Amino acid sequence: MTGTALLFLVLGLGLIGWIAGRARAATFVRSAKNGPRGTVNSLPYYHGWFVAICAIAPALVFMFIWQSISPSLVTNMVLSAPAAADLPQEGFARAAILSEARAIAQGFQTAAFQDESEKLVPLYASALSYYKWIGVAATLLLLFAGGAYAFTRIKPDFRARSKVERVVMFGLLVASLIAILTTLGIFASLIFESWRFFSMVSPFEFLFGTEWNPKSVVTPGAENGYGAIPLFWGTIFIGAVIAMIVAIPLGLMSAIFLTQYASATVRKWMKPILEILAGVPTVVYGYFAALTVAPAVRDFAVLLGVSNAASDNALAAGIVMGVMIIPLVSSMSDDSIAAVPNAMRDGSLAMGATKSETIKQVLLPAALPGVVGGVLLAVSRAIGETMIVVMAAGYTANLTANPFATITTVTVQIVALLTGDQDFGSPHTLAAFALGLALFVTTFFLNYVALRVVKKYREAYE
Amino acid sequence: MSNAIMNPTPTDWNGQIMQKRIARRYAAERRFKAMGFLAVALSTLFLAFLLFTMLGQGLRGFQRTEIAVDFDFPALTSGTTAASISGPNADAALNSMDVPGIVELAISQQYGEISEGLLTAGAAGNVRQMLIDDTALVTGKQQLWLPVDSRLDVAFKRAGEPAAEQTVSTLAQKDALRTGFNWTFLTGADATDPSAVGIWAAFKGSLMTMAITLMLAFPVGVLAALYLEEYATKNKLTDMIEVSINNLAAVPSIIFGLLGLAVFLTLFGMPRSSALVGGLTLALMTMPVIVIAGRNAVKSVPPSIREAALGIGASPVQVVFHHVLPLALPGILTGTIIGMARALGETAPLLMIGMRAFIPAAPQGFTDATTALPVQIYLWSDEVNQGFVEKTSAAIIVLLIFLLGMNALAIYLRNRFETRW
Repeated sequence: MTGTALLFLVLGLGLIGWIAGRARAATFVRSAKNGPRGTVNSLPYYHGWFVAICAIAPALVFMFIWQSISPSLVTNMVLSAPAAADLPQEGFARAAILSEARAIAQGFQTAAFQDESEKLVPLYASALSYYKWIGVAATLLLLFAGGAYAFTRIKPDFRARSKVERVVMFGLLVASLIAILTTLGIFASLIFESWRFFSMVSPFEFLFGTEWNPKSVVTPGAENGYGAIPLFWGTIFIGAVIAMIVAIPLGLMSAIFLTQYASATVRKWMKPILEILAGVPTVVYGYFAALTVAPAVRDFAVLLGVSNAASDNALAAGIVMGVMIIPLVSSMSDDSIAAVPNAMRDGSLAMGATKSETIKQVLLPAALPGVVGGVLLAVSRAIGETMIVVMAAGYTANLTANPFATITTVTVQIVALLTGDQDFGSPHTLAAFALGLALFVTTFFLNYVALRVVKKYREAYE
Repeated sequence: MSNAIMNPTPTDWNGQIMQKRIARRYAAERRFKAMGFLAVALSTLFLAFLLFTMLGQGLRGFQRTEIAVDFDFPALTSGTTAASISGPNADAALNSMDVPGIVELAISQQYGEISEGLLTAGAAGNVRQMLIDDTALVTGKQQLWLPVDSRLDVAFKRAGEPAAEQTVSTLAQKDALRTGFNWTFLTGADATDPSAVGIWAAFKGSLMTMAITLMLAFPVGVLAALYLEEYATKNKLTDMIEVSINNLAAVPSIIFGLLGLAVFLTLFGMPRSSALVGGLTLALMTMPVIVIAGRNAVKSVPPSIREAALGIGASPVQVVFHHVLPLALPGILTGTIIGMARALGETAPLLMIGMRAFIPAAPQGFTDATTALPVQIYLWSDEVNQGFVEKTSAAIIVLLIFLLGMNALAIYLRNRFETRW
């Protein structure tokens, strides 16, 4: 019996429990003598839910726990068998043989590459089925015990509703906690893997080194080519400089035009069209940048007399990224301009200022904090953006301010480091986590500041 | 200034200086407005340019070039009958017939020395499928149209390599080439030959990934939104939840990929490049979007509804699940669809969890190795072969159609069910 089948069995039995509990409670209601419902505390279906929850919940929790502990139980059982005694003691070879034997026993793999694992297959098969049946039996036992207990509790004056509602509230709380759990998971995995990385490569080299040419075998104390300064520079240059040169004027001016000048019809049509720019997948932008924009930029550079223009230049990636960001800048500016009190605008217009003078000298200064917050959010979006730079910017680390040169970014290198067939513990893989940590901390900080700025500014006019 | 106050002389509005000044200010006004218009126009033009480029290249991807090949089946198969390749033993009979050999023989008989490399790698499979669909073909002489090799395909549609160009012009003189609809593209999987590739495998992988994402992110997101809006008391824990959700909504997607790699693959040992892990990773990414949209929808339900329900004796849980949730559902659904559309176009986290392998068949289960449509686009865009350019654009068209459809559905739902209180 596979895990999925057992899951469906448990859920099916839970449904039967629901029906049974509801039916039993319904007989109380029907046989009640005083009043329409008598002294029955809860509606019948609450009794049904009570039975179903009592039956399913412990069984599911047990299944989950069993899923995580049974593999080690199986391994222990196999290792305690006499045939396992002549396995190599050395950790890596031993683990390889064991995992291969397990894969064959589970049917994921058909033939063994190592002779030792061939011998372990029957052992594994028997251990797996032994613990699987223990798991199934215990799950069903728990399910029936829980269901039976709940069923005997059903009485006319039993407060099934408050019990069920307590479970519902618990479920709601757990659902909310998943967000915290995810954040903690991100933090923990990034910090843990980065710590492993920094035990191989010195953090000093990583943060201040200017040479990025990661070696797969590191020697402690020497330069290993893990200097991330060129990556940080590339990320800032593409995401915070080139992209913003495109996105800020276009986004801000679009917002001003659509809110201040355009007629209602134009606004109604143009706003969704701008939003489409935000909805296009980044892989499409990346393809467009690599296929169409980058060659055009290179031709333009040649026209300007720049001879060493690369086909995977930073400018193409930055421009396309800027276009992607336009809707974000535009909608944030839109919001903050709309939040400026009308009295300020009307006052300026009444003094005889033209519309553009009002916008430039009254609305924009008043809306500036909101616009700045929006730009910070946009920068955080841009430096975390992956596909555009992976497809259009290059893989070579270059510490240069020449927009026609190849420049690589943090996200490109994360992808590059993780796409080889590397062992998880290799410095390449771990370096990707260290870069991820740097990226996470930066974007977290930018988002935090941006939200604070926007919030503070909103309060100022409320 | 003080002088002006003591001797108030009225400003000469019609004087030359003032008129000039006003003209200048109005010119500045017009320039500013034109700049705003230009910004909107540039953004729109960029979008139009992008879409036209994709359409221009991608539409060719749905077409394929076919070549006429004459098959004298009785001679080629030494008299196989229609009955022998139907029924339960059809597979074995077709295998023993050696379809690839027959195809090779037929084409070399017809086209002589240029026959080398005319057909795409999957052509023998096409013939086999034709024979299964219509077993009567095997009894006579037939002219079948088979897809050509990708080099010739490119050369026939637009400029290709000189050698291929020459072959194509020779064939075109014989009227042996035609353009047909590329069904393989909609039903096939990844292949090394661009004329044999299809998006079905990647698309199915995307659908399965989305199914997992929806099943996890939707309930969790809705429940979390209800908790935060309706029940949470203002305390440290609630603050932490709110900060987490706002932060998660802005975390770069690649970070979720790293989380998936470290936790789901390495720690839990889940199957690499499977729809299950992809769905889990994207669910964590989509959940905050649903929570934020859900909170706004729940917030917009007026308090009078809650008070009325409480007034007739409903419990707080009943108030929310019987009254608030149904009223907020359209808004929640709109947010969910938008979040799902974002997840459908997401590539980077899926690359991190290994969904970039060469997958030549559609996945059968949630734990099978699979790829997703955006990842397939990325993989094809990396290919050197010219034939992949149009396939990549064609796959992009399919992806964009789906995203557009989802967004249109979201807008429709919002307009249809939105209640103004």
